[in-house]
Amino acid sequence: MPVPLPGGTLRAVAEAVLPGELAAEGRERAVAAFERWSEGLEPVAELSHPYLVPEVRYSGPDPRPGWVAQLEGLEKECESRYGKGFGDLDVPARRGMLARPLGQAGPGLGSPASAAHVALALMAHFYTSPVATDLCYGRVIAKQQCRGLEGALGEPAALAGGGGP
Amino acid sequence: MKRVVESDVCIIGAGITAAMVAERLAERTSASITVIEAGGRTASLAERTRTRARMLAYGENPYPNDHIRDQTGTGAMYRQMVVGGSAMHWGGAIPRYSPEDFRIRSLYGVGFDWPISWDDIEPYYQEAEERIGAAGEQGPPDCDPRSRPYPMPPLPLSYNLARMREWTDEAGIPFWTQPWARNTEPYRGRNVCQRCDTCAVCPTGAKYTPDFAFDQLLAAGRIDLFDRTLVRRLTLDPGSDRIALAEAADRDSPDDPVEFRAGTFVIAAGHAWSSHLLLLSANSRFPDGLANRTGNVGRYMTGHWYMSGYIDLPMRLYPGVFANNSLLSHRFASPGPLDRYLRHDLRLWESNVGRAPRLTNDDGRLLWGDEIMADWRARTASGATARIRAYYDVIPDRESRLTLDRANTNALGDPMPRIDYRAADATIDLEPHTLGTIRGRFEELARAGGGAVRSTRTSRLFEHPGGGCRMGDDPVTSVVDRRGRTHDHENLFVVGAPTIVSSGCANGTLTFCALSLMAAEEIGKEGLR
Ligand SMILES: Cc1cc2nc3c(=O)[nH]c(=O)nc-3n(C[C@H](O)[C@H](O)[C@H](O)COP(=O)(O)OP(=O)(O)OC[C@H]3O[C@@H](n4cnc5c(N)ncnc54)[C@H](O)[C@@H]3O)c2cc1C
Ligand code: SF4
Repeated sequence: MPVPLPGGTLRAVAEAVLPGELAAEGRERAVAAFERWSEGLEPVAELSHPYLVPEVRYSGPDPRPGWVAQLEGLEKECESRYGKGFGDLDVPARRGMLARPLGQAGPGLGSPASAAHVALALMAHFYTSPVATDLCYGRVIAKQQCRGLEGALGEPAALAGGGGP
Repeated sequence: MKRVVESDVCIIGAGITAAMVAERLAERTSASITVIEAGGRTASLAERTRTRARMLAYGENPYPNDHIRDQTGTGAMYRQMVVGGSAMHWGGAIPRYSPEDFRIRSLYGVGFDWPISWDDIEPYYQEAEERIGAAGEQGPPDCDPRSRPYPMPPLPLSYNLARMREWTDEAGIPFWTQPWARNTEPYRGRNVCQRCDTCAVCPTGAKYTPDFAFDQLLAAGRIDLFDRTLVRRLTLDPGSDRIALAEAADRDSPDDPVEFRAGTFVIAAGHAWSSHLLLLSANSRFPDGLANRTGNVGRYMTGHWYMSGYIDLPMRLYPGVFANNSLLSHRFASPGPLDRYLRHDLRLWESNVGRAPRLTNDDGRLLWGDEIMADWRARTASGATARIRAYYDVIPDRESRLTLDRANTNALGDPMPRIDYRAADATIDLEPHTLGTIRGRFEELARAGGGAVRSTRTSRLFEHPGGGCRMGDDPVTSVVDRRGRTHDHENLFVVGAPTIVSSGCANGTLTFCALSLMAAEEIGKEGLR
């Protein structure tokens, strides 16, 4: 069983890196989905074979101990610097602390499992999700869900609650 | 202890080409049929919902145990060795080759003509489409001929592809829906496609995979399937050039050899392992390998190359609506008279390249939360990306070879294959013309939609590979005849990919299946019970 990610700090990170338009409820759903994903992650798992390449590829070693350490490190640094917890900082100050590790990544978000920092893993997990895609376009695209063939031709319906440009 | 298994027909390999042969023989003869597969069984349909979810979440292989650790070669080849073969993973794009493919020497003065014509193979294309369950629509008959309709209507165009087709119509290039091995109606006991867009692994069974055919044949008691059983060599009858038996190793009990005796042997082991087995089976009478009296086994390995690109278009599309459907054109595969040889297909997909969410903007500034959404929306509001690819025809070369690599052996000590692909000089000489013309066509298309080519890349991976046992009427230049029978051994057939003369500019598997059915018809005439 992997060591669980410190939930309070993870939620404080989420507030800094996920869109405000998700609101508390949507953000909680995104964090819970990330936690479930993280719990199910299998280190050094066999990956899909690349086309016409005889080599077998495996995913990397377990990133979670590193992520736990990063979240604990954020709390410790915050305590030393400001005498309070990471979640007690305002969002700009939290971003200030996350800017250093995130600054080394990009421009793409990459895949969550290969993210060097837990904040990046959370972002990659959310922004590549069907939920985020629908929010971006303001449409019910529901990518990679069983949708039937009937609706394929029509313009995707508008997303209840808005989103989109 | 040695085991002996006897049957009328022994098929080596359990991929899609083997499924075609087994199914046809089971239906049309009363022959006893043995199928031998080196690999084991992988995720059943019931398990694919779970393995699909893990593939989506973690990139994991949705087909556990689909390869054999020490059984692998060097050069472009599939890793899958499993009941169902590489068509467990396939996308299921099933275009036919063009009539020109079978006559490029006569028509254009390059490459080689096949011993068969389009008219010869056309009924078997239809049969393969019916066995697999093809969903498609016919394009303009001059570049997409067929004598009968597809068994199922095409996959519906998605909103994105419909908008893209308005654009390609504007450009004057005919595109139509890619034919697929995916059900648009309930077909042969399998479900209708649900547009869940992970066709490498299909959780509904709408995509054809060969395990369905084998399971039905097993349930009907029409085949015996020996999986996890590796054929190591074929042995001749002492008094003739007929094959007497296939020597195999049961991978669960390697010290107890299995001997498969049969009246007719069919090698359906794919583009790499078929030649490999013939070369491994060398003996004092055939010192260079079986079926190799004229030294052609393992030669003329081939496949197609491609140029692909991304086109920016001033239209709003919704990537993710149906990424696994695409538009196809064979206009330039049937080009009419040419000054310089060039034949290629064109495929178009929706894409989110350049329009995915990102961490930093063009100035390298970190984006947070709402800024990421705003940046993403700005890049998708009025522009979209189309992915385009052109497979082009590569002229096969005799020196494009599969050989035995004595430096790389499996646990049993058998040398593994090594493939050193090569294109004929004609292809290399034509390459600047080929790539320049294709790029020009990408640009022309982009301009017609008021867009621009964002990027292009080229690939020299020999896609949909085949060759190694090419067919021909002349034993001096070929390994099998037009029905897949080896020139050297009257009861030995090679089917599918290894027997192709050239690989055209279209995904090859439907052609491999049609060729296998042609061979199966001949095998069925062998006086089998
Ligand atoms: C990811 C992916 C996507 C693809 N998409 C498409 C597509 O959209 N359209 C298309 O046309 N093609 C596609 N292909 C290619 C297609 O899958 C192959 O062309 C086709 O499956 C080849 O079938 P086959 O029967 O010739 O060989 P295989 O599938 O390779 O089957 C041969 C079988 O023989 C067995 N075997 C070999 N040697 C021995 C031996 N000595 N003893 C016992 N068994 C042996 C092997 O284990 C194997 O299972 C794709 C392939 C991949 C991997
Ligand atoms: S899109 Fe259709 S064929 Fe592809 S995986 Fe989903 S149900 Fe299967």
